[in-house]
Amino acid sequence: MVTVSTAAFYGRANQQLGSLRTRAEALQSQIGSGERLARSSDDPAAAARLRVLGRQQRLSGVDADNSNRAAADLTLADQSLVSMADLVIRAKELALQARSTILSDTNFKLIETEILNLRQALFTHANARDAAGHALFGGEVAGAAYTETAGVVGYLGITDSPYTELGDGQVVQRSLIGPDVLNFDDGAGGTTDLFVVLQNFADALATGGTTAAAGATEALDLFDAGLEKITSAQTVVGTRQAWVETIGERRVAANELNSEEQAEIGGADLASTISRLQELMTVLEASQASFVRLSGLTLFDSLN
Amino acid sequence: MASDLMSIAQSGARVARGALEVTAQNIANAATEGYVRRSLQVEEVSAAGGPGKQNDISLSGARISGIQRNADLFRQTEARRTAGEAARGSAELAGLENIEAAIEQSRAFDLVVEFEASLLALTGNPTDPSLRAATMAAARNMASGLNIASDSLDAVGVGLRFEAGVAQDEVNVLTTELARVNIRMARSGEGSSDRATLLDQRDSLLERLSGKLDISTTYNSAGMVEVRLGGSTGPVMVSGGNVSALASTEQPDGTLAYTLGGAAATVAGGLIGGKGQVLTALVDRKAELNAIATGIMSTVNTAQTNGTALDGTAGVAMFSGTGAGDMTMVLASGTKIATAPAGSPANSSDASNLTALRDAFTNNGHAQLMSELIFVASADVAGKKITSEALNSIASAARIALDQQSGVDLDQEAANLVRFQQAFQASGRAMQIAGDLFDTLLGLR
Repeated sequence: MVTVSTAAFYGRANQQLGSLRTRAEALQSQIGSGERLARSSDDPAAAARLRVLGRQQRLSGVDADNSNRAAADLTLADQSLVSMADLVIRAKELALQARSTILSDTNFKLIETEILNLRQALFTHANARDAAGHALFGGEVAGAAYTETAGVVGYLGITDSPYTELGDGQVVQRSLIGPDVLNFDDGAGGTTDLFVVLQNFADALATGGTTAAAGATEALDLFDAGLEKITSAQTVVGTRQAWVETIGERRVAANELNSEEQAEIGGADLASTISRLQELMTVLEASQASFVRLSGLTLFDSLN
Repeated sequence: MASDLMSIAQSGARVARGALEVTAQNIANAATEGYVRRSLQVEEVSAAGGPGKQNDISLSGARISGIQRNADLFRQTEARRTAGEAARGSAELAGLENIEAAIEQSRAFDLVVEFEASLLALTGNPTDPSLRAATMAAARNMASGLNIASDSLDAVGVGLRFEAGVAQDEVNVLTTELARVNIRMARSGEGSSDRATLLDQRDSLLERLSGKLDISTTYNSAGMVEVRLGGSTGPVMVSGGNVSALASTEQPDGTLAYTLGGAAATVAGGLIGGKGQVLTALVDRKAELNAIATGIMSTVNTAQTNGTALDGTAGVAMFSGTGAGDMTMVLASGTKIATAPAGSPANSSDASNLTALRDAFTNNGHAQLMSELIFVASADVAGKKITSEALNSIASAARIALDQQSGVDLDQEAANLVRFQQAFQASGRAMQIAGDLFDTLLGLR
């Protein structure tokens, strides 16, 4: 004979109501945290994917920091190059003036002073520091990129500007080294740099007379070559800035996809979670009501 | 004299009263764990006619022949077996969840990624003291994250062994108690209420015992039980009044080895079996965690010793230790991080050694291995959750099947109360009629 054991009835009711409550609470915590997975075992594969995505996002954040720094250094380099170009243009104007033979030695002297000032300014620009305080045009050596010893300016930096990783295996050089900007062909098969050219021009002006005018003529050609070198350096820097920007845009797009996937895998969809909770609550209420009705149904009440 | 109406009525009243008492007992024990519904076995009493009296009416009423315990041996065994399996499943699930929590909540994975990120950030500016300090901190955090994971796993092991020890003590108490019940059973009368109570005790002890470990049982005609560990050919735990004690010793790897009555034994089921299986899983997870820690240490230390520190000295090991438990960051200061290749001058901004370290770290997949460790631990839990749910529903179905047969239904008992009360009243009525008959005879004049 099959009987409905009273103890079994209460036991089952307890178990069923308890399991409904547990499920409702799980949904409630999903809504509260916005996360579908409270622990990895809720969905091991999804949790593993979330960890991979989280790692990518963390590393991509560092990439973003690094490329911001590269962009800052490139901007600094660009500004320095603009100033250097202005200096060379001014030097060129002065050379044009000095070429005229009607100038007196006093005038040459004035021009010489300005040329020496320009040389000093160029020296300062060449020794500019990057965002981290290293030599901008020295391949990031800790000290200065250029030093002047007994009137001769020498390059102390390394031979290549350092690379910054932008993520996805892409790299960019943060700056240029001094010789790439200031050294150029002297037109006679050798190389020279702007410091030497400016110094020679100043020396010629100091001598005065026809030497000064001849020096001005010679300097004028070299200034043209120097300006060309600086302009091409500016182009290089501009290209690199564009590259950093392109990679940055790519990173933003990848991050968006990453976040989207994270939300899709690990996020709790509010609308469906709430409606599932509502459904569970309805079932729970109905179960509770029917439990109360059933448990109140005892034969002892009807017997007198 | 063939029949006596008065004594027939009296026997009927006695039977009805007994039945009412049994019903009341059933009602009183409706919520008692392990109580099996009793019912009364009633027999008719009548005498065979003697010579020359073949056609006489010789009736003597009814008598209580015994108290029946409405238990089905098969359903009981099934309920016990499935409950034991459910207990094993739950114990395994709980233990594996603890392992998962130990590994995941130590945040070791996040800290490994954080260390990786700090290396990447340092590549951007290898001479920056604050980035170097950040890398040092990340390395220290990673080491302590792995320490915490290892310590938590050890703590899980301690907890498991403690629980298994408690269960083992309980098993020895239960088997001793069973032996005592066996002896008393031999002395109790067949069909007595004492026997029924002892059988209840026996079954409830067996049920508790099978929750702790896997057993098989055989019963003799007197109701005494022989309990064997494991299958029907396993070593004997309880036979008559004799008990073999269960003992365990902790192995070097942290698992437990059992002996029964001095001989080596295997416990596969119940709570103890479940804890044992988790302890075995724990050994594996611990080994994997240690492998990850030593892998990280070897990758980082190799790269360090290949390079030059910021102060121009040769790089030294960053971590010391033999596993996840004792991994320590030993670098004295941030300047000792060997970012530059061997032979570089002091303050070199050449980050190629650091890049080599980062590449090795990524290529050796330390973060990936850590993620896989969490995956394995959590997949164990997810798998076991399904098994445990299935085992629980099987066990509760078996329990319901048993209850349907042996449990107390209050409605049924209420109906019985009315029925037996009426039977009692009817017998009383029969007595009254017997009295009336007697009076009629006495009143003859």
